[in-house]
Formats: sequence, structure tokens, C-alpha cells
Amino acid sequence: MKHEISFVLNGVEMRVRIDEHLRLIDLLRDKLGMTGTKEGCGEGECGACTVLVDGRAVNSCLCPALEIEGKDVVTIEGLRDVENKLSILQTAFVESGAIQCGFCTPGMIMSAKALLDANPEPSEDEIRDSFQGNLCRCTGYVQIIAAVKQAARKLKGSS
Amino acid sequence: MIRFDYFKPQSLEEAFTLKRKHPDARYVAGGTDIMVQIKNREIKPSALISLRNIPELSSIEINGSARIGAAVTIADIAQHPELERIYPVLVAAAKRLGSVQIRNAATIGGNLSNCSPCADTATPLLIMEAKVKLRSPEKTREIPIADFFQGPGKSCLITDEILVEIVIEPPSEKTQTVFLKKGRVKMDLAVASVAVLLEMESSTCLKARLAAGSVAPVPLRLSSVEEMLEGQTITADLIAEARRLAMENVSPITDIRATEEYRRQIVGVYVKRGIEDLLGRSEV
Amino acid sequence: MSDYRYVGKDIIRPDGPDKAAGKAYYIHDLKRPGMFFGKIKFSDQVHARIVNIDISKAEKLPGVKAVITADNTPEVRIGFLRDNFALKKDKVRQYRDEIAAVAAIDPDIAEEAIDLIQVDYEPLPGIFSPEEAMAESATLIHESDARGRPRKDNIVPVRFRHDSGDLETGKKEAKYTAGGVYSTPLVQQSCMGTAGCIAEFDMNNNLTMWAKTQIPFLAQRDFNQALAAIGLRGKNTRVIVPTLGGGFGSGLDTHAYEYIAILLAFRTGHPVKILYSRDEEFAYLSPRQSSQTKIMQGCDEKGKLTFRSIDVLQDNGAYTSWGATYPSVMMLPATSLYRVPNIHFDSQMVYTNNTYCQAMRGYGNPELSWALENNMDELAEAAGIDPFEFRMLNSNTADETTPMGLKISTCALKESLKITADKLNWKEKRGKGKQRGVGMASLLHVGGGARIYRSDASGLILKLDDYGNVYAYHGGVEMGQGLHTVLTSAIAESLGVLLEKVFINPTDTGTCPWDVGTHASRGSFMAGNAAILAAKKLRERIFKLAEEIFPAEIEKNLKKILNKNPDFKPVEFDVKKAARRENFDMKDGLLFIKDAPDEAWLHLELGRFLRAVHFREQGQMLTTEAFYDPPNELPDWNKGYGNMSATYVFGTQGVEVEVDTGTGEVKIVKMVAAHDVGKVLNMQGLKGQFFGALAQGIGYAFYEKLESESGKIQNTNFRDYKIPTIQEMNFPIDLEFIETDDRFGPFGAKGVAEPGLVPTAPAIANAIYDAIGVRIHDLPITPEKILTALKKVS
Repeated sequence: MKHEISFVLNGVEMRVRIDEHLRLIDLLRDKLGMTGTKEGCGEGECGACTVLVDGRAVNSCLCPALEIEGKDVVTIEGLRDVENKLSILQTAFVESGAIQCGFCTPGMIMSAKALLDANPEPSEDEIRDSFQGNLCRCTGYVQIIAAVKQAARKLKGSS
Repeated sequence: MIRFDYFKPQSLEEAFTLKRKHPDARYVAGGTDIMVQIKNREIKPSALISLRNIPELSSIEINGSARIGAAVTIADIAQHPELERIYPVLVAAAKRLGSVQIRNAATIGGNLSNCSPCADTATPLLIMEAKVKLRSPEKTREIPIADFFQGPGKSCLITDEILVEIVIEPPSEKTQTVFLKKGRVKMDLAVASVAVLLEMESSTCLKARLAAGSVAPVPLRLSSVEEMLEGQTITADLIAEARRLAMENVSPITDIRATEEYRRQIVGVYVKRGIEDLLGRSEV
Repeated sequence: MSDYRYVGKDIIRPDGPDKAAGKAYYIHDLKRPGMFFGKIKFSDQVHARIVNIDISKAEKLPGVKAVITADNTPEVRIGFLRDNFALKKDKVRQYRDEIAAVAAIDPDIAEEAIDLIQVDYEPLPGIFSPEEAMAESATLIHESDARGRPRKDNIVPVRFRHDSGDLETGKKEAKYTAGGVYSTPLVQQSCMGTAGCIAEFDMNNNLTMWAKTQIPFLAQRDFNQALAAIGLRGKNTRVIVPTLGGGFGSGLDTHAYEYIAILLAFRTGHPVKILYSRDEEFAYLSPRQSSQTKIMQGCDEKGKLTFRSIDVLQDNGAYTSWGATYPSVMMLPATSLYRVPNIHFDSQMVYTNNTYCQAMRGYGNPELSWALENNMDELAEAAGIDPFEFRMLNSNTADETTPMGLKISTCALKESLKITADKLNWKEKRGKGKQRGVGMASLLHVGGGARIYRSDASGLILKLDDYGNVYAYHGGVEMGQGLHTVLTSAIAESLGVLLEKVFINPTDTGTCPWDVGTHASRGSFMAGNAAILAAKKLRERIFKLAEEIFPAEIEKNLKKILNKNPDFKPVEFDVKKAARRENFDMKDGLLFIKDAPDEAWLHLELGRFLRAVHFREQGQMLTTEAFYDPPNELPDWNKGYGNMSATYVFGTQGVEVEVDTGTGEVKIVKMVAAHDVGKVLNMQGLKGQFFGALAQGIGYAFYEKLESESGKIQNTNFRDYKIPTIQEMNFPIDLEFIETDDRFGPFGAKGVAEPGLVPTAPAIANAIYDAIGVRIHDLPITPEKILTALKKVS
């Protein structure tokens, strides 16, 4: 059965007609061409599929697409500034050596955004708690923590 | 092929009507368990009935007792200052459940309705002797949470019944609680968990409630340990006895996550450490 | 050592911004026009005869474009022993055997079609351990070899051995001995991006493969052999490598799923994509090889090693891939880590019905070091010597040749041991008990490539355009380790251009020169050296042309200035006279004469120079290639002798642990790692590699094990296969890089992608022994094992 929903995606009003069994990750990747969000496990364990729904980090692989009706969805594609510039948060990841193969990166950055939006000066423990659902096999996480701290500093400075 | 209808009722009545119409359908809230089961083809429901958009299931009311709607997310519980102040053990367990992403979707009702012996919110609710409110089209009933769990994956819910609310009475001033959970890594399903509640009058135990998770077919009240502790002066010997009794009264299994012996050992260690921790706090 | 412009500095990795924006395209994101989706039916029996495969229902499902089995496709043999097949015929030998495959218009339909395929089996007795497989009456897993000759046992015809000195003499000379058996489990590479490929034929029947591979050229060779097998001899494969979601060795072989994609693409005439889901990755992709090592060592009164005897037994699984060659790498530390005069090393690989195994980071070194470094501590204890002192006493030094013939040039082992001991406060912390302890372990690994194939070379093409942009074509694979970062900076540094003018093209066998593959930590070593060679050639050509072009262009500069400002008085300098090739230099893309005054009008921008060279009669465009073949040898595997690498790395890791004897949990209080890196090319990238390797070492030590029961993997998801999360890396890591400035390394650098995880597990085991007096012999070190061991001791 198809169903029509309206929602906001990266600041843009959307209206789509989708199958009811679709997951949010399928809607994003297959129907809307937003391939920045990755499927790493499909079971909510790895966090590569993390997006923001009404400001909260969720695993889009577990979220039925119909549940985002009327909600505000932000994906990694939505972080880019005008004129094709990376956001402060993304730049911090690039500059801190927090990116290697990059597969976990969009999910990591979205988790970072959810954290910093709610808690602009997180402690290291708070950072770790926020990322325990984001697996990385390349970096050992150390420089990811550095990136989040750098982003927090820079965002504070720019506000 | 994975196909199902997806309904978003706005009221309980609508939910009940949909369930009548689609007897093969499953109620779903956060979906963090059900979506995985569907993906792995463990279940093949023809439809899912979402309970996320029913206002009466999504509120937290604290007015003397606490009434938590079944569709309240674990994240909302974990970040609720008043719940943390009055029922810290529930909030502590909520904070140990899954990851941020899981907590933003998972609900307390879902966590309980799965009737997994590992359910993180179960042991805190057991020691606080919470009640659960169940509704069907015909009637409403409130039962002690201990009666809700019938076996692994088996609740006492009858056809069409939905868990709608969790009711907890506030503990006394002197009550101290603690939640201890062991996973293979920090974010994990509990390999074993223990929740302890003590109400102390200097070194005498007025009230003791203990519950253990992942070590029995259901989240388990350790009644024999409670009986042994109540009315007694808690000494090191008594704690050792409590530990021994707890280990005797659980029936863990060996599975891919841990061995029976290890789970039993952890229950014993956590009962001992939980009591010691609370004694330390009571003294301060 | 001169001060470099880019080398040794932190530079932004060129692929970083796209990855941060979600713009990098992995195999998961790629689509080809008209593409079908492939899915594989795997065996649900572990060892059985295939009686019948019924694909009729699957073929009829709407949307299904092809259903293939070994019955309706030509036989395609795979693996270096040719003992494996793309699709299984007659017999299945493991749970993951590929029985059939479907191509359909979408993945859901393909999956449904798989379910409609019915297979009838006749079960055979399953064999799940090497011991069972070696028994007299054991069923043969392979009845014949690739040439059809009958086999007589289940032993894999691959053997790596080394015997030097005289073991009996060494044993006699030993005052103290220690021995034991150590084992390591099956471990999954666990790349965040799962395996997959797209196969596509053009109308000339040439094949393009977008592959998640680390060996594009060897894969080309393999796929060309497959083309011959399906009747397309002489046709060619082009292998293109998209952005990889990790590698860690999983891309070092070609896989059955890739050949199946080729067969489906050929059958349907459409591109076919096969992508593994996470549980398929766990269940059906070859993991890290497991091992069982029997070791015994002895030392004299003073603590000098007198002999070392190592026997390795490996469960090869049902088919042969690179797991069977781990002992070729194990041989290095076995013969050459520490000085030991009398050595026996032997290995045996045995077929079973368990999963077969492939490469993973370290490739046998973590396995061997697990046994060796635990045993070093055991022997030290027997001899009454502190383990740090014991290692120092037996340490290798620079400029020595080891019993295997490894030519050690620089060696920082003693230094790394001292640094580790210092940073751990070894003397204060060692032997204090109270559930706290310190331990260390060292390593030896290849650092200058590894000649395990006929060539260990790496080619590079540099192409200049009209604007001073440098396009690099290199056959190495960027899988996150930062190869392209190193290549970019090596080119910019050696050529004398700005970093942002260097562009690395995608890895593509159609355009890039040959490279054996990105493994054995060779990427940066090879790419860097190739860049230096190619840049040198290119500069020679530029400077030769500059003799003619430079003076003319400088004159134009001067004319232009004088036009604007007639009073300009240029400094006295005879450009024509000085314009000799040996007098030129280039920095930041500006050509200049070395002794000339530093005036803007005497500089020539590279782009302008190139346009002047191009846009004239008999003009030229400049493209140069270099093929770097390192000074190493293919060892004689019969003798176990040969200088396999151009240089070697040493290092030491140490940990302080605290053990909770109630729960068996081990907490890492502090970790120290001192590694010889030759030269730090990019500090941030280097740290990232080491942090990542340490995390894998932690996983190896504590959490990771694929549970195989009667040949079936039980934990096929991240819920039950635990890799370290950010919470488990919750301890201070003190990393120190020792720069030994190797003469063979580019800018003095050695290859260091793997060493970070080699000594981690034994360092932890040694610390646990110091803390609580128990030694776990079988990885992973779980709380259960600690508690069980403690019970035994008390």
C-alpha cells in the first residue's frame, strides 16, 4: 500500500508517496538519492545510518519511514553550508584526523551534531556516552573525540 | 519479501479497531526490537500498528505516584530530572540501555512487553514494586509488574491487550537504590544485572528488595534474599549469606553471551557490591 | 635531515572533505544503467553430496533474470591452489558454500527467488578440527586436487618451515626452558562497509569490475582466468576500485561472490551488483585465520636464548586462501625477533569443514607473537630475570642478518623497550600484586614491502596538464589508511609543487601502472619511493626543456614590467648563461635558477612553462612513469631463507592493568606504544593508524571471536560479535614514534600499517600475569577465563 507523507528534509519541505513498509534509510538512499547515510548493519548496532529526527539522533535503519511524517529530518547532506562549504563540525572532523575509510563518518558527524546542539560543552564522558552506538573499525576513536572537542570550541567561539 | 501495512492510530480505540481488523498485526512503538526481528525474518506480521502517536501513551505524570505512558521513550526517561530525583534506579537503568540512537526510539512499554529476561527497565521496576496498567477494548486492569512476565518472550497480555502505563509509588525518604549491569562490552544486552533497594534504620534493614536480570526465564525478584535481610543488622556475614542465597536462587543458562557459571557468579558479586554500596551511602 | 615542505607536517587528507560531506561513493552507493541485483544461495549443510538443485520455481518468479548453478555454467576454479569453485558442484564442504545465484530487477525479488531454490543433499560426516581431519579414517574433504589427482589425506600441500643451527645442541645448552601451547580464534575483519562488487560486460565481451579489492591487478589476473574458463579467453578485465569502506586484509583475495557476479553479468548481458549484508559478511566472508602454536624456548644461565622451537597447526577450513600462508609471515618473528641461534619452525595446514580463512592485518604476526611474547615472559620467570631485562639481553641490533636472512638495517628494539619501561614506571609497578600489573611485548614486522610474489613493485604515472596540475595514477588502494594523503604529499614534496595541485586518480587497472597490492604495510613505502623516482625523472625533463623555454619567458616577464613601469631597473643577471639544467630548481610550482636573485620576474610559474612547451611547433606534453621495485627477495620457502623486505620495523607495547577478581574484568589503566616508523610522514595520519590498530589489538585480546559450532558461525551480527566501541578505548594511550631514518624508505619512512596490533594481546596477557598470576593461553581473554583460571590457582 502506498501512503503520502509530508516532512521537512534538510530544511526543505517534502511530499512523497511511499510503500508503507519502507524504512527511513531506504527512503533517504533509494528514493531521495541521499546516499550519504550508510547502512552498516541494518540492526541498530553500528550507527552508520544515524540521522536526526526532530533534533534527536536515531538509527534510520530501524525507523519506519511513515513515522517521520510532519517531522524535521536532517542528514549529513544537510550540514553543508551555502557555497558548498563544510560546516564547522565537518571541518573539525577533517582537521582532527577523525576520518579514515569514512564509512562511519556521516553517522559519527550526525551523532556529534545531536550532542553539540543539546550540550555545547560536553565532558569526555558525555562524548563517549553519545558515541557508544557508533562503531568505527579504522580510527580507534581517539581523534574522533578530539574532533568533537575541537568543534565544540570553535562553535562556542563563533556564537 | 518484507512487506507489511503500517498504521498510525491517534487513539487507543483506533488501535483496538485496527487490531480487530488485522489479527495478524503487531503493535509496535520504538521498533528497535520488532524491526530487527522482521529484518531477520523471525516474524512476518501482515501489518504493524504504531502506538507512537497516541497522546495518552506518551506522557509522564508525577503527582504523588508516577504514571509513565508505555510509549514514553527510554531517552525521555533517562533525561527526566524529576524521575531521576525520585526514582533514580529507573533512570540509571534507562541510561544503560542501548545507545543514544536506540534510546531515542525505544520505549519503556516495548522494553517490558518483549518479556526478555534481559530487559533493563524490568529489575528497577520490580524492586520498586511498580504496577502496569493493561487495556483491552473490554476492560482495564492494573497488575503488579512481577505478574506481567510469564516466561521468555511471554507476557500475560491477552489478545488485543496493550500495556498502556507503568505506575510507581514514590519510595520513602530513607530508601537507597542501585542498578548494576554487566555486558561483554559496555553497550550490550545484560549478561547479568542486579537492582537493589534498601531502606535502612542505622544498621538495621527495614526493607529490602532485590531483582536480577538475564539469570532466569523472567526478570526475577530475589524474594528469599529479601526475607533474609529484612529486620536484620547487615553485617559482612549476612552479605556473604545474601550472596550465596542469590546465587542459589537464580537459574541462568549458557548461551552465546555467557556461561551459566559466570552469570551466577556475577549475580553474587553484584548483590554483595550493591548492598555494600547502599550501606556506604546510608552511612554518609 | 632537511626540513621538508610537506613531509612530516599534518596535511588535510585530500579525500577528507568529501567523506565528511557524505559525498564519497562506496560500492554500496554505485549504480550502473540497467543494473540487476544478485543474491547467492548458500548451503545449509556443512558437508554433503549435492543430489539435486531445483531452480524451476525461482526462474519463474517475475523479475528474475537469471538463476545459475554449477550445472548451467562453466566451471570456474578459484584460489591459489585452485581447490575452490565459484559455484559448487557435487559436494558442499562448508556452510558458506555457494550453491546457486539469482539476478533480479531488485534485491527483494532476488531474495525471494533464493528461497524458492530447492536443494537435496546427502549429508556426510562433518570434520571440525585439524585433529579429527588428520585421523586415520577421516573422510576426505577434497577427494582430488585441482589436477584431478587423488588425494590421500586432508593436509594442505603448503608448508613453511625453517631449521637453522642445531636444536639438540641448543636444548643441551639451555639451563632454563619454558613451553606451552597457545591458540588464537577466528576473528572478523569487520569493515564498516561490507563486501560487494558490480560486474559489467561491454559489447566486446570485455569485463569491468567495480570491486572492493586491495589487489586490483592480481584480481585482473584472476578474473581474466575466469573469463578464459567461461569461453572468453583473450578478453580483458578492467578493475576499478571505488572508495572502500575499510579493508584490513579482506580484499586481498578474490571471492566466490565476485565470480558469481561475473557469471550473472555474462548470462544476463546486464551489469550485476552483489552486496553482502552485515550478517552475510559475518557468515559468508572469509575471516582471519585461527591458529594453534606449540612453542618451547630455552636460555642459558645468563638469560641468553639458546634455542626456539615452534610448531604451528592451522585449521585451513574447506578451501585454501591466504590463511594458509600466514606461516610465511610468522616465520619472520619466529626466526628473527630477538637473537636466537638454534631454531625450528614448522607449520601444518589441515582441511576441515569449517570456514576457510583469508588475510587480516598482521597476517600471522599477531598469532605468532601471541605465543612467542607470552613464552618470553614464561622463560624469563623460569630464569629469574625481569622480562624487560630479558628482552634487552636478547635484543636485535642494527645492521645484523638474522637466521632467516633478514637484513636488519636500522633497529630500534632496545630503544622501544626502554621507552616503554620508562613510561610504564616499570620498576615501581612490576611485581606489586594487589590485582595491578604491568606487562610488555615487542614485535618485528616487514617495513619495506614483502616479496611474497614474483614482483613486489609499484608503478606511478605523473601527468602534467596545461595549468601545472599534476595527475597521479597509482595502483595502490586507499582504504582509509591514508595512502593517497602520503602519495599527494610525496609527489608535492619531490616535484616541488603545491599540495593542492596534485590530484590522485581513482585506482583503475585500465589507467594505472601495475602494483602487486596494498598489503604488508607496503602502501606508503612503495608509493613514496615511486613518487620520488617519478618526480626526479619529471624534474629532469622540465629542467632540460627549461634551458630553452626559461630565458624566453623571463624576457617576456621583463618586457611586461617595463611596459608598465619604464623606470624599472632589473637587477643584473645573465639569464641565458645561467639557464643550464643543473642550475634549475622548482618550489611551490615556481621554476627558478638556484643562484639567481630572488626577484618575482625571475620566477616562472609551472603552468606558464608547460603552456609554452605545449603550444608551439613540435610541442610536448609531459607525462612520466616510474616503476619502483624494492631491494628485497622472494624467500626460498624450502629453506625458509630470504630477505623478504627492504627494511624491518621493531616496536614495543606495554600496558598497566587492573583486574577485578570478582567479575574477571580487566581494566586498562594505561597503554604505551613505542614504534620504529623510520620517519613520520604525516603525524595525524600515523597516529590514526596506530590508534586504530591498537583498538583492533584490544578487540583481539578481549572481545573478538567468531563462534563456530559444527562449522556454522553462531554470532553473525554486531549484537553478538563485539568489537571495541568508543567506551572500550577509555584509557590513556602514550604513543611514541622513533625515527630511525631508514635509507631505503621514502624520506626515511618505513611501512607501519600493521605493527600497531601485533604485540597488544601478549602485552596485556603479560600484565595480567603480573597482576594476578594467571596466564591465559587462548584468546580472547574473557572475564570467564580469568575467573576460571583464578579458581584453579586458589
